[in-house]
This record gives sequence, structure tokens and C-alpha cells, in this order.
Amino acid sequence: MTLASTILEARGIDKRFPGVVALQDVDLTVGAGEVHGLVGKNGAGKSTLVKILSGALQPDAGSIHLDGRPLPSLTPASAQAAGIATVYQDQQLVPGLNVAENLYLGREPRTPLGAVDHARMQSEAGRVLAALGLQLDPRAPLPRLDMAQRQQLTIAKAVQRQGRVLLLDEPTAALNKTQADFLFTLVRRLVEEGLAVLYISHHLDEVLAIADTVTVLRDGRRVGTVAADALDKAELVSMMVGQQLVEEEARHAPAERIEAVLSATGLRLDPASAPFELAVRAGEVLGITGTLGSGAFRLARVLAGLERPHEGAMTLRKRPYAPTRVRDAVARGVVFLPEDMLREGLVMPMAVAPNVSLTNLRKVAPGGRIRLWRERRATREVTRELAVVPDDVEREVRLLSGGNRRKVLLARALFADAQVLVLEEPTQGVDVEARREIHRLLGALATEGRAIVLATTDLEELVQVCDRILVLRKGALAESFRGADTTPQALLASIVAGAAPAERGAP
Amino acid sequence: MTPPAARPGPLRRLRHALGAPGGQGAVVVTLLAIVVITAIGNPRFLGIQNILNVLLQISILGIVSVGQTVLLISAGLDLSVGAMLSVSALAGGLVIHATGSTLLGVGVALATALLIGTVNGLLAATGRAHPFIITLGMMTLLQGVAIVISRGSPINGMGKLYDVFGIANLLGVPTPVYLLALALGSVALILRFAPLGRYAFAVGGNEEAARLSGLPIFRIKVALYALNGLLVGVAAIALSGILDSALPAMGTGYELRAVAAAVIGGTPLFGGRGSVWGTLFGVLLLGLVSNSINLLGIGANLQYVVLGAIITAAVMFQRSS
Repeated sequence: MTLASTILEARGIDKRFPGVVALQDVDLTVGAGEVHGLVGKNGAGKSTLVKILSGALQPDAGSIHLDGRPLPSLTPASAQAAGIATVYQDQQLVPGLNVAENLYLGREPRTPLGAVDHARMQSEAGRVLAALGLQLDPRAPLPRLDMAQRQQLTIAKAVQRQGRVLLLDEPTAALNKTQADFLFTLVRRLVEEGLAVLYISHHLDEVLAIADTVTVLRDGRRVGTVAADALDKAELVSMMVGQQLVEEEARHAPAERIEAVLSATGLRLDPASAPFELAVRAGEVLGITGTLGSGAFRLARVLAGLERPHEGAMTLRKRPYAPTRVRDAVARGVVFLPEDMLREGLVMPMAVAPNVSLTNLRKVAPGGRIRLWRERRATREVTRELAVVPDDVEREVRLLSGGNRRKVLLARALFADAQVLVLEEPTQGVDVEARREIHRLLGALATEGRAIVLATTDLEELVQVCDRILVLRKGALAESFRGADTTPQALLASIVAGAAPAERGAP
Repeated sequence: MTPPAARPGPLRRLRHALGAPGGQGAVVVTLLAIVVITAIGNPRFLGIQNILNVLLQISILGIVSVGQTVLLISAGLDLSVGAMLSVSALAGGLVIHATGSTLLGVGVALATALLIGTVNGLLAATGRAHPFIITLGMMTLLQGVAIVISRGSPINGMGKLYDVFGIANLLGVPTPVYLLALALGSVALILRFAPLGRYAFAVGGNEEAARLSGLPIFRIKVALYALNGLLVGVAAIALSGILDSALPAMGTGYELRAVAAAVIGGTPLFGGRGSVWGTLFGVLLLGLVSNSINLLGIGANLQYVVLGAIITAAVMFQRSS
């Protein structure tokens, strides 16, 4: 690490939200030509710090300096004007405009008469993009760009406006390996030109690979700032989680019962796919995986009643099971936990308690009258069992961290006395500790006799949590593994056998 | 980590128990300002007679706004409530004139509004178009129906309805005010303690989450629109009693004022939040503004300008949640 001249400096940042100290006396220094990694568990204060640096939030105390000059009361506009560019996960592009128009939005080159000079804009855009090594057609309409290309355009837009500091918040969340590698090359190139980059990510391997320096936040405080090459992943994790022991997660006790709770025969997901059968047993975690389009996620949705199979019969607890609506599945004790919680799972303006009780409100509403007190008590029982933080069922779920929101979804399924839980990518975008916690809970729920169906593309997750793993190809069951006997490599080989490699995360 | 919250005072706990909103500061301040200014300009303003007068004036809008609030919470909307009010009042009036039975007329008026509300709910629940457009179409349709069934002229003389709602009072308070109180109270209870009320918040807050939780979305929506229709029917009966007649355009304008009252009261247009108590504040604000404009002798022509300015200002200064 070279001690380059400091560009961005934050000193003594404090931020409180009602009842929570989000940041306390946090210092951060990013120099020219430096990639500075920022890591921490969900809720450690990473997002709050990024929002403060980008002007979206005002700190309660502390100051932010750019090139040694203080920046009083930052707003998103003044931060951008000062040269602090933020690339969020959801990118700030206008879908109706093409690449060049987005790049020059708000500062279009003009003809002498004041009209937009499209010809000059396209050619300059082409030059700017080429200089960054980006292969983007300035005339391409935005919908034709994939997630990676959109992100590249967002970065180009930020840099092109005399950016000094680039804040990248989870930039690889929607990228596959190749796209992520390209992003790293781009970041390195920008840094060589003297830019300062703050890189926020859950993927510690990634941070260690790209960052020169890493700052670790825990519970709103800065735990330390260290050179990336002086650290390994385990040390970083122990800094993030504090004194708690970091141990390999233990697999839950293997299922003793072997009776099938949910089974299917002659199941065909599509007219073109081969029929297959499967059984989900009480007390087991059954993994389902495959490339996009392999039918893995469709199978999970069929089991949960969200979609109907092309053909085939299903049985749930020895009775025919043919849900035509989600409601039918829920009524039979099959609950689906979607990947996209914000869009599909939780009711954000509502508190934790009504979110947990939603599926089974009757339990606390005898005679059609909701007993609020009973509801709070009953939901708190479940959320405590799952260790939802904070322990306050009257808090709105939108104020919870990502890992805890997922636990609220789990709590809903438990509150509904679900016997079969169908989960889709349950740990996508959550931090290491929350991930381990969710894995432990899934194991515990299975041990209690529930059946867990886990559809995921996370190979390590499959190997760590699942008793059995089904690999789907072309809409049909291709291979089956025992979780204890397989490796991520073996799974990957099976997943991509006879098919093009997965483009995970591509739209 | 979180400091123990101070035990809330009795007033806060009462508000909490009733599901009353916080954060209506701007509306309350505006209300107080209007009260103070008008009371200085015209001492009659705070007289008991004028207060009862204001309450009577807001009772109809209040009942309609309560229904609209429920729909807005569920991310729905019914723009046909004004025309719905006219049609059901006319239907009731026609029956009263034809049969001489007030009770039958009341029943027909309620049934008409309930039916129209249910139809709106069925159409909205299909999700094929935004309720704004669906009910806008329904509004035009019903305005036409009102003119057709009344042949364009008023139905005068509502018999006993006039005695009950136009003249009668209980302990000095006009009877329509009791209807408003009943509507407010029962809907507040539904929103807080009935599963249907809870589902309204869930559907408005995240319809997909509600669906994945196994809620019967279609039925919930139809029920909420039907409830709104029922409330409009109640308003139609009371208003035709107060006027002692049913007019083809008697409900015109209620739809937008009801939405305005709910929004002033803190219920957002995108659903998931809201309360009828906030709406009561909104209705009071609208009613007091009209009343004070009259008492202060501001010309009728300026009324709309002042009213519009105050509505806009109150909404702009509202705390965004």
C-alpha cells in the first residue's frame, strides 16, 4: 500500500436513528490511487456511512473533507458537484434514453442555436467509453444493455463528470464471474489514473483481491483499518464478528424419519422436458439447483403452488396436492419464501408483528377480532426463537437489516405452522454471520420434523446445509447427490454437464 | 443497546389504542390558525350553534371520506363515489315516492350503493386497469344513470327522512353527526381489530407479499370496495334527508374532496398506511375553511381560491413518512 495523498477524509462521524446508534466516531481516509474496502456485517453501519459520504444522509457529528477542504452539509447534488460519485446497486439510468444520452444527461453538448448536438454527443461518448476500455455502443438503447453494461455506463458517467472519489456499493451483486473480473480491471484502471475508490461488499474474497486497504465496521464503530495483503479471510471475519468464535458450521442431525411429506410422480415442468419423480421427506433439507432455465427454480415454485406443472401428480401427506393458487398451498402448510423480499416478501410499511402473523392471522383473531396483545406476544415468541434483532415486534420491518428481514420471513412461516418450507436463495446478499445463522436455523427446523426445500445457486450453501441435492437440467431431474458426500466442484460439473456454463445473475 | 423507551403518557396510550396517527402537525397547526383568525374576526365562530353547524356540514363528506380512506390504504381508489351517492339517493327517492315506504327507500338506496361499490370492487380486483381509470369511467356512467332515472329533475320530498336527518337532533346535535361518528368508530375498529382491516394494510403495502402469504386478494378488494359503497349509501340517505330531496348532481365533487381529506389527513395515495382519524382532521380542515370564509365575509367567488390554496399548503407542509 502506498500512502498516497488523501482525497476523501471523514472524521469522527456520528449518526443516530431513533433508538439506534448507527455510527459512532468513525474515521475513514481514502487516498488517490487507492481502493479502500469497507466491510462489516449487515447493520454494522456500512450503508449509513456510504449514504453520509454521498450526501444522502446528514451526520449528527463529524466532518467530511475533500482534498483537505471541509464539505459542510453535503447533499447528493453537492457531493456529486464536489466529485464524489456513488454507484448504487440500483443504477441511476433513464431507460428511455440511449447510452450517449444517459452519459451526458443534464450536460448535453449544444449547437450554436442551443439545440442538443446529437452528432457531437455520440462521437464524444464513443471516445469517453473507448478510453475506459468499455465496449458500449453510444447509440444502443438502454434496455439492450445487461446489468454489467449498465453498471459500466453508470461508472463511466460518474467518472466523466470529473469524479475524484467513486463509491461502489455491492457492485458485483448482479454480475457473473466474467463480468465481475471486467469490473475489477476497470476499477484498477481508474485507480491508476488517480481516482480514489471506496469498495463496499459482502464478498470478502473480492475485497481482499481488489482493495489496497480495508476498514472494518462493527456495531457502528471502526474496528480497524489494515492493509489488505496483511490479512486473510478468517482474520477479516473475526474482526467483523468480534469475539464470537468462527467455526465451521455443523450440519444438522440427519433425518431419522424417512416418510415422504411431499412427493410427485410423472412430473413434467414443460411439454419438452422428461418426466421425473421426487419426494421431500420430513426432517430433511432438500437442495434444488441448476442453471437458469434448468427448471430448478420453476420446480420450487411448482411445489409451493405459485406455478402449475405441465403434467404430473403431487401428494402432500398422503393426500392429493394440486394447488392452483398460493393460497391452496399455504392452507396445506406449504409456505414459499421468495428471494426478492422487498418486492415479494415483506410488507415494508408494517411492523414486524403483523408481518409475522399475516399468513395465519386467525391464530390471534378468535371470533374475527385481532387480539393485539396476544399477537405481539405470540409473534415475539417466534422472533425470539429466531433471534431477530432488535427484539421489538412493533418496529417497522423496513428499519431492519437484510439478514433480520429474512428471519422475519422465516418467522412468518413458523407462525403459520408450515410443514414444508420452500426457500429461494435465502442468503443472497446477507453477511457471513447472518448466513451462518440462517443455515443453522434451516437445519434446526428440519430436525424438528419440517421439510425444507432449498432452491439456490450457491454451491457452498448446498453442500453445507442440504441432506440431498437434486440437480436439474433442461427441465428435468438429472442427478441426485448426498450433501455429506459431495463437493461444490462435483455439483458444478453436474450442473453444467451438457450445457453452456451458467450465467448466474444475468437478467 | 436500545435505551428503554419512556412509558407513554395516558393520552399517547389512548391514541395508540385507537390507532390514531402522529405527525399531523401541519394540519393541526393550520386548523388552529384558522380557528384563531376566524374567532377574532367573528365571535360567532366559536358559538355552539356554529360548531354544530360545521359538524353538520362536514358529516356527509366525513362519511364518504372514511370509505375513501379505507380504499387508499389498500392502494385502491374510487372516483365514482359522488355519482354513486346521487344514483343511490335518487333510487331511494323514487322508491319512497312509488311505495310511500321510507324504510324500503332506505333499503334500496343502501343496496344500490352496495351493489355499485361491489361492481367497482370486482372490476378493480381483476387488476386489468388502474382503479383510477376504472372508477373514472364508472363515474361518468353513473352521472348518466342519475340523469336518466331522474329525467333530469329533482325528486322533492323525502318524507320521514327529512324528519330524521333534516330536522331531528339528539341532545342538540343533528342526527347526521351521529352517523359520521358511527362510521368513523366502526371503520376505525375494523382497521385495527378485524382481519379485513389488517389485510387492507397488507394489500396496500405489498400486494405480492400478501398473495404469497396466502391471502384472498380478490375477495379482500371486493369487500373493501363494497364497504366503501355501503358508506356512500349511508351518506346518500343522510344527504337526501338533509335536503329533503334527491338531485341528479347532488354528489358531484365529493370524490375529489374525499381524496383530499384523506390525503391531508396523512393517508398516502400509494397505500399501506393511513388512518380514519387523520381523515377526520382533513375533513374538519375543509369544513372549517368553508365556514370561516363565510363568517369572515370573503366573497363566494374567492372561496375556491382560498380553499385550494389551503389544501395545497397543508399537504405540502405535511410530514412525509
